[in-house]
Amino acid sequence: MTISKIFKTLTLATLLTLSGNAAADLLTDIQKSGVMKVGMATFVPWAMRDKDGELIGFEIDVATKLAEDLGVEVQFVPTAWSGIIPALLAKKFDLIIGGMSITPQRNLTVNFTEPYAHSGQQMAASTQLSKGFDSIDDFNQSSVTIACRRGATPCKAAQKLFPKATVLRFDDDAQAFQEVVNGNAHGMISSAPKPRFWSEAHPDKVFLPFGSENLTRGDEAFALRKGDHDALNFFSNWITINTSNGWLDETHAYWFQDQSAWKDMVAPN
Amino acid sequence: MNKNTPPPSKTKKHLTLVDILLYGAVLLFILYAVYRVNDVLVYHWNWSKVLGFLVKFDEETQSWASNLLLQGLWTTLRLALWATVLATAFGIIMGYWRTCKNLTLRIISRTYVELIRNMPPVVFIFIFYFFVSSQIFPALGIEDIDTNGAFASSAMFHFMFGDPQLFSNFLAGMICLALFEGAYITEIVRAGIQSTEKGQWEAARAIGLSPFNVLRDIVIPQAVRKILPPLAGQFITLIKDSAIISLISIQELTFVATEVAATTTRVFETWILVGFMYFLLCYSFALLFAHLERRAKRSQR
Repeated sequence: MTISKIFKTLTLATLLTLSGNAAADLLTDIQKSGVMKVGMATFVPWAMRDKDGELIGFEIDVATKLAEDLGVEVQFVPTAWSGIIPALLAKKFDLIIGGMSITPQRNLTVNFTEPYAHSGQQMAASTQLSKGFDSIDDFNQSSVTIACRRGATPCKAAQKLFPKATVLRFDDDAQAFQEVVNGNAHGMISSAPKPRFWSEAHPDKVFLPFGSENLTRGDEAFALRKGDHDALNFFSNWITINTSNGWLDETHAYWFQDQSAWKDMVAPN
Repeated sequence: MNKNTPPPSKTKKHLTLVDILLYGAVLLFILYAVYRVNDVLVYHWNWSKVLGFLVKFDEETQSWASNLLLQGLWTTLRLALWATVLATAFGIIMGYWRTCKNLTLRIISRTYVELIRNMPPVVFIFIFYFFVSSQIFPALGIEDIDTNGAFASSAMFHFMFGDPQLFSNFLAGMICLALFEGAYITEIVRAGIQSTEKGQWEAARAIGLSPFNVLRDIVIPQAVRKILPPLAGQFITLIKDSAIISLISIQELTFVATEVAATTTRVFETWILVGFMYFLLCYSFALLFAHLERRAKRSQR
């Protein structure tokens, strides 16, 4: 039984035990306690650690502004990605702002707001193994190995786009990427813009076979426990307002387009 | 020690030619392996990014402070210490119950031990974390402790339990570990109590000591001496086992290491460094316990 299977079973069971609870009033609870607890997972450039170990990133900016507008403090709860939905259901935090793409399966378990970002999956390929590959068909062969992070959208995209290829699942992107650099996988799929950042950092080892064009388009939204439509309405409208006034686009561009703006903050080179 | 065992043969203090040849062969093999790894693994080692997460220079106080990885190490250490205290408490109670005449107590303690020993730690930890802690903690009001209260914001609290904001997270991890290791300590305690020969029980009872007095004056002093070395070993095992609770996002060394690895994309450097940190921690405790054991033995003579 894999860990993700255990999680899925537990998620269902947890749901059953928690479904007896009456509809909660999340917004009142947050304002009463003065703290909004946000579940997130480290993922460049959504959320990462700067030199001092503090959290920075697109999501951190979004959650901080959201808390400011609510008039409360924000508290981040770094959580292992594979357990982030069970942790939300178990009330370890109030909501997930974790670059989570909306999927019908997830939506059966949690509520999603309007999307606050549109990511996509990108592929980084090995210059050595995948020389000259530039179409989906080049990679959709039984001799091809694709690496991805398990329990997340990239692996599903890999299976759907390249059904003939062997898919290797890893605990995190860095390991999947390392397989490509080591020449053990032809390519790896991850959320944009990480593959692009990597190809910029290691131009001799990896390249973007499909340019910076995304393979798929995702819709990232805040995830909330089911049953609280007032909170859902508030958060969705907060996103609508900040999309209209351009704040979300601007912040997204700062973190996603060019890493030179913040690269020095992250880690000493 | 039993009087009938022959005196141990003298341990060798000098290496013979064969030993040196063997060591040389092993060393050559390791060097070859390192060479092969560097050859096969296309990897530019860059330690500075990861090492930066050990300590940081705090501009405000103008002093060096521990960064993410060292903070994680302190959390691991705090977790291990508190979990050991709690696990020992469980272990003593359950271990005593294991040897009781009362059937109910024996069933309870036996169920506890068998349930935990025959379940993979990961599974137990998930069950405990998502069911027990999410049901019990809110009921006890632990989630709502005032993080700005006098005690919670005191330096003492910070030293003992770490960041008050992470207290419920810390507590869940600690209880998880304690329940888990408690089962093993139960067996150590049971073995310690049962190692006192039955005749001593009978003799002590015969001269009119109450069961409590037999336990206090005859059994426990002998049991403690036998229990301490395996207990020390269990403490070191607990430090290593604590890595498992990174899966439920307890902010200890292994969890922060996954964050550092994700941020820096320096996977190997992070894990080699973290492995070395665990080794240093566990080995220094092993040396300390070996030293204490030797001293205790000397004082017994």
